[in-house]
Amino acid sequence: MPIALPRFFAEYQATIEDTLRSLVPDDGTVVSKAMTYTLDAPSKRVRPVLALLAAELCGGTAARAMTAAAVMELVHTSSLILDDLPSMDDAALRRGRPANHVAFGEAIAILAAFGLLNHAYGALARAYEPPLAARLAGLVTDAVGSRGLIGGQAIDLLATEKDIDFDLLERIHREKTGALFNASAVAGAITAGADGTALAALSAFAKNLGLAFQIVDDVLDVEGDPAETGKAVRQDARKTTFVSFSGVDGAHQLAAELCQAADSALTPFGRAADRLRALSAFVASRRA
Amino acid sequence: MVETDPRATDDRQRVRAVEDDRQRERVDELRQRLRALGYLDAGVDRFVLGPAHSTRRPLIFTLLSAIRVGIMAALLLGPAATLGVAARVPGLITGPRDAAVVALYLGVAFGVAMAVATLTAALAVVAAARISPAAVTRRASMLPRSAGATVGVACLVYFTFWWRTVLADVGWSAPLWTTSALAIAAAISLLLGHAVAVVASAIVISVSGGAAPRQASWRSTLIAGAVAFGAAALLLTWSGTTSASAVPPAPLTVIPSGWRVKVIAIDGFDPRVFAELDAEQRVPALASAFSGAVADLAAGADWSPDPARIWTTVATGQPATVHGVRRLETRRVPGVGGTVSTTDAAGAWAALRNVTDLLRFTRPAIVSGSERRAKTFWEIGAEAGLRTAVVNWWVTWPATASNGIVLSDRATLRLEYGGDLDAEMAPASVYEKLRGQWPALKARAERSARLVEPDPSASPLAGLGRRSAELDALQLELQTAVTASATDLSVVYLPGLDIVQHTLLGEQASGVAASRMSERLAFIKGYYITLDRLLASYAALDPHDDEVVMVITQPGRIGDVATGRLAARGRWTSSSREVSGSQLDVAPTLLYALGLPVATDLAGRPLTGIFAREFTSAYPLRSVASYGAPQRASAARASKPLDQEMIDRLRSLGYVR
Repeated sequence: MPIALPRFFAEYQATIEDTLRSLVPDDGTVVSKAMTYTLDAPSKRVRPVLALLAAELCGGTAARAMTAAAVMELVHTSSLILDDLPSMDDAALRRGRPANHVAFGEAIAILAAFGLLNHAYGALARAYEPPLAARLAGLVTDAVGSRGLIGGQAIDLLATEKDIDFDLLERIHREKTGALFNASAVAGAITAGADGTALAALSAFAKNLGLAFQIVDDVLDVEGDPAETGKAVRQDARKTTFVSFSGVDGAHQLAAELCQAADSALTPFGRAADRLRALSAFVASRRA
Repeated sequence: MVETDPRATDDRQRVRAVEDDRQRERVDELRQRLRALGYLDAGVDRFVLGPAHSTRRPLIFTLLSAIRVGIMAALLLGPAATLGVAARVPGLITGPRDAAVVALYLGVAFGVAMAVATLTAALAVVAAARISPAAVTRRASMLPRSAGATVGVACLVYFTFWWRTVLADVGWSAPLWTTSALAIAAAISLLLGHAVAVVASAIVISVSGGAAPRQASWRSTLIAGAVAFGAAALLLTWSGTTSASAVPPAPLTVIPSGWRVKVIAIDGFDPRVFAELDAEQRVPALASAFSGAVADLAAGADWSPDPARIWTTVATGQPATVHGVRRLETRRVPGVGGTVSTTDAAGAWAALRNVTDLLRFTRPAIVSGSERRAKTFWEIGAEAGLRTAVVNWWVTWPATASNGIVLSDRATLRLEYGGDLDAEMAPASVYEKLRGQWPALKARAERSARLVEPDPSASPLAGLGRRSAELDALQLELQTAVTASATDLSVVYLPGLDIVQHTLLGEQASGVAASRMSERLAFIKGYYITLDRLLASYAALDPHDDEVVMVITQPGRIGDVATGRLAARGRWTSSSREVSGSQLDVAPTLLYALGLPVATDLAGRPLTGIFAREFTSAYPLRSVASYGAPQRASAARASKPLDQEMIDRLRSLGYVR
């Protein structure tokens, strides 16, 4: 039974949308339109919400963490545009709309992706004092780099239509999805001046949650409805996914267990972390 | 309506059940893989990092996390170390309660050590982070692993050497035990190393803001475990475990010579004083005992004025480092029934001992036979089937029934106080017998002492002489009572001379005027004569035809320059022959005389020179590899131990302060 988005989630989403619009305004250029095309498309904004919740949990404010949170969405959107390219996953549908390269052409889509990344680093530099900005930029760099989104995507591409083992699949998920989940949680906490223990606990939460999110994604690719998911299903048929190893039921079960483990990682925070727990409950039950 | 074939339905259900089982197995396997990759239950990490979320200061959270690692080490190592200590320190753990308390103490000790090690490693990371944050960021994954590896390797080396020390007698001769121990050591080392790495990585994260380092895969964990195990095994082999005593003791065969052996042990005996008195013909009984073969027992490196230590050396033929009895006075830790031996070192160790006493963390106790790690000559004889009886030897409590008749150094206390037996003597039937005879035995001993020391009020020192004579007479009475004509080995320890000598020349003698000192010396000489008469009255030194009487003397607590003596008198001893030996040679010599093979792992060798050539020709020296460790048979213990009474008595006699 899917769990509805918690009310606080919707409030965060609205603020994040505003921030994204202010960070990437539509200046009338084609690249700008291409950027806002995918950025404004319907999205749950899980990563920025995760960053905001982490910041508040560590004693910070959503206002201070907002730019860092929005940056995570910029990076994520950038990666989606690139992932959908014909040279990569060749997906036609994204967030319920034609994919960026379908709407604007491949070249513009590539530029839009880089434009979003460019905005992300710039936003950090402008919003925060230099030491924190540098720290956050380093965090984003790690999440995007060869051990993050880029590395995961590269392995994913090379593994397409090949049998891969479970460890390699986990690495792909960890780098393509987990890295940005982790960066989101840690970035939010850093803006609140969190200590190492809190960061480690949030990192453990994000790690488990990130994999659960991806497993649910794999399941939705098998049994999801394009109208609900907003993207083409059976798109991963050429790939080894979690469902290939565990079956649909097993994948559901493991996703739920990972969400429980994510919740357990928050034990040191007590009830204060209930909003993050609500987030994990939503991830485990999502249909889109 | 469509009819369904019931058999087809059953088949479908069976197929579905099989598929469900397979599915469950697949999910179980994936769950394990995910755990190995650091997902799902990361209990250790959460435990280590759990409590410090409220602090934002790296130093404080490092401290709190280090304490958690210490708690983990305490829980893991306390019980493991207790097993080792139980094997290595016999006498300390007397039951489950002792084991629990010792585990608690060791757990605290290991926990503190581990917490300090973790704190040190983590502080090094904190320091590095403060000096060069950029470098820490660059080495975000390397630093925690290095810290964890350092602590893990240190733990592994320590555990391996600890195992080597704890079971030095076993080593690879017990491959299952050793393999298990090394596997546990490797696992604990990996776990603690991982815990330290977790703490260090949390610090690095707090400094650099980077992601948590990647968890090791199950493959790399397995490889690390195998490497750790291999390294520990190599280290154990390289450091060289032993040993001869690992060889199981062979069953002993006695080739009877027809001799019965009577042993009279006299403490506080100065051969030069005896020589003076002998020249004046004032100690005829002792002179006759020393008229046969005599061996000088040189005071070797193991000599000590401590009576428990030296007389255990005499009884076992092993130095204190082997037999384990280092001091009469030991220490008891609160909550633990057993005792732990203390070193006889002075300086810092003595100061530490005094401090722990002062803080009531330890309190004085008297060494017991449970702490002895080598067999005495009477135990070896009894195990070989000889009939043995021993009276009042040091460190014989608790007495066990498997060692022949034993009247321990607490036997007279039990007879005096009455009540149920607490292993003061064995077998229990002896207590029943002596209990009835006790008033008569005591009266006879007093009478004998009165004959040799007629008037205790004659001088201020005469009372001391009377008490000492009564004590010696009581031991001789008890020896007579428990020794039958069929007893192969009868042993008695006489403390009177040492008590007199120590009382008059010991610490209380400082500041005594020369005239008083002269009086004291004269009194001591007088006690030699008293003892001589006492021995004569019991005919203790007169061997029967089938008997050899051996007198063993030691210089006692004062005699730092005098050597001991072993005098043997009987039909097959050599006459008027003097040989040289040491205290370590007494036990092998007695065992040889009893027709037993002598173990090659004994530190001493039989003094065959004191025996007649006919005897040594007829009974050539036989040997065995080892007698093995003492059997810890259960003793008859139904009453409250006379611990405090024993301490009070030894204190009144000047043995303990």
